[in-house]
Amino acid sequence: MAANFWTSSHCKQLLDPEQVDVVHQQDKDKGITLEEFKLIKTHMANYILKLAQHVKVRQRVVATAVTYMRRVYTRKSMTEYDPRLVAPTCLYLASKAEESTVQARLLVFYIKKLYSDEKYRYEIKDILEMEMKILEALNYYLVVFHPYRTLSQLLQDAGMSDINMTQLSWGLVNDTYKMDLILIHPPYLIALACIYIASVHKEKDITSWFEELRVDMNVVKNISMEILDFYESNKMIADERINTAFSKLALKP
Amino acid sequence: MTEMDPSKKVADRYLKREVLGEGTYGVVYKAIDTKTGQTVAIKKIRLGKQKEGINFTALREIKLLKELKDPNIIELIDAFPHKGNLHLVFEFMETDLEAVIRDRNIFLSPADIKSYIQMTLKGLAFCHKKWVLHRDMKPNNLLIGPNGQLKLADFGLARIFGSPDRKFTHQVFARWYRAPELLFGTKQYGSGVDVWAAACIFAELLLRRPFLQGTSDIDQLGKIFAAFGTPTSSQWPDMVYLPDYVEYQYVPAPPLRSLFPMASDDALDLLSKMFTYDPKVRISVQQALEHRYFSSAPPPTDPPKLPRPNPKSRVSDYNPQEGPTVLSPPRKSRRVMPDRDRFEGNSDQAEKVDDRVGERQAVGDIAGKNEQVPMSIDFSIFGSKPLSRPTINSFRMSLVLACRNRLSMDQASKGLSHHLGLSSRSIVQTFFLNK
Repeated sequence: MAANFWTSSHCKQLLDPEQVDVVHQQDKDKGITLEEFKLIKTHMANYILKLAQHVKVRQRVVATAVTYMRRVYTRKSMTEYDPRLVAPTCLYLASKAEESTVQARLLVFYIKKLYSDEKYRYEIKDILEMEMKILEALNYYLVVFHPYRTLSQLLQDAGMSDINMTQLSWGLVNDTYKMDLILIHPPYLIALACIYIASVHKEKDITSWFEELRVDMNVVKNISMEILDFYESNKMIADERINTAFSKLALKP
Repeated sequence: MTEMDPSKKVADRYLKREVLGEGTYGVVYKAIDTKTGQTVAIKKIRLGKQKEGINFTALREIKLLKELKDPNIIELIDAFPHKGNLHLVFEFMETDLEAVIRDRNIFLSPADIKSYIQMTLKGLAFCHKKWVLHRDMKPNNLLIGPNGQLKLADFGLARIFGSPDRKFTHQVFARWYRAPELLFGTKQYGSGVDVWAAACIFAELLLRRPFLQGTSDIDQLGKIFAAFGTPTSSQWPDMVYLPDYVEYQYVPAPPLRSLFPMASDDALDLLSKMFTYDPKVRISVQQALEHRYFSSAPPPTDPPKLPRPNPKSRVSDYNPQEGPTVLSPPRKSRRVMPDRDRFEGNSDQAEKVDDRVGERQAVGDIAGKNEQVPMSIDFSIFGSKPLSRPTINSFRMSLVLACRNRLSMDQASKGLSHHLGLSSRSIVQTFFLNK
């Protein structure tokens, strides 16, 4: 999207990491740790992507949906807002907001196809009810900026828009949605961090290009490190850990 | 986050007053905001029959108005769910520009016209700065507040633009305000479409009647060419490549002066720049605001001093039989289909819609046979004048379909965990250490 980021609600809503990494009291009472809180969000980002691939929407719808979901949990507890309903509803709302509407019944159909687990099963009316609650939790702010557009422009500017670099950095950007980066950093810095990692991985030296940019390289470095740390700590798919976290959420208070 | 705690946003913050009318997606009523004492208009968004949750058009409007805060754009004050319906709270606007233009008791001085068009362009300039196309500019979407401020309203057709290559539907705007590139079926267009519509509004202010009243798309182009001459390929090189381009018989342009005998030279110069055929050459809104028309005498009238219809006499004076000279064009009567068959399909339905206009109903029954489509309203209802123009709103649901182009994933996400291990991490670290 090309609207002006610096005057957008997205820019004004950026948070500090300390504001994002807060487990809500109701969830804490059930024994949810910060690590589990993050893990559930990552799992839900994957869930949204999986659903999106079935209903066939653009990547930016996925990115917007994940952003909505993460914003919701900066304000609402998982006890009150079950992630397994919030995730598909965010995809539903994002598809409308990004002008690629997906029918609710189609989502429900694929949810049933993908998950045999009862706890994932929600009906159309549940999604529609939750849509209103999510809109409210988002304070009706729906415009979200993403790193993708900047990414292509920057790659071109750096003279590295070959297929390898594009695919790798694009994939890296996709993966940043498994983390809370989009709530914390302006999208162009996330794009730069991904280009940076990709260039190092492909052994391409673009130091001088980076030096010419007027950006705080320390921030780019920190984001890059965070991304790499995330890969490091999520090498194994942690199904068990997710199940443990969800069984805690299911506890009666 | 500057807003108040959402939990406090309950319906009893607002004292409900009379119903102002039935809108595309629900009832609009007047209310008093007990928190600020302000009079507001509340749109109650009815949930669609097709179990598709919050109305798509309403959602568009919310999305964009939350980002657009400007003195010349309608303010979305609040939104809240109540009894399962979403309610949007707007500032209350007394009347709209259409009511001003057609009120025969009002004399508009050149300074008044300058003021109204300047406010229109200012609101539009703000939208374009934020990369938002309004796409439904027309006098009854330009609301006028108690202090004479003109504000752009009805963003239900508006879109964010600027992404290269993204295709849009050309079925936007009421026909009389549609730019020639849209009438020729372009799907990639920019802010020029709003400029053309603003020029039509400018002309309407000068003439006190709609300028180019086409009865079909073909006729609309004919009216445009009759006014400005058939465009030549040197004037507009890209024209012949437009999807629905058809050759028109050549007509020369009459002198612009003959069409607007009362306008100043500066006004005519600006008008001709806004009515430029080639959208690439057409003046931008920002450039229009910098045009000498706005700095030359007379200065624009102060908004509070602008003439406005008398709210009390307006309703009683109104005689539906006599009818004002101003009527919106009939809308497109069919769903958006890929090109070609547009012209016949449209002319078939045009008469039907014309009949409805004759009935003086606010039924923008665009979808033709589709009776499910709700009544139309726009913000015009916020003024207490009777409804007359059929509006584009009910047509919007079919636009949704057209907007769903390119649904496939741009690129599938790739889990990259296996690509990147410790090695790259240490390489990155080394780089930063070296720096």
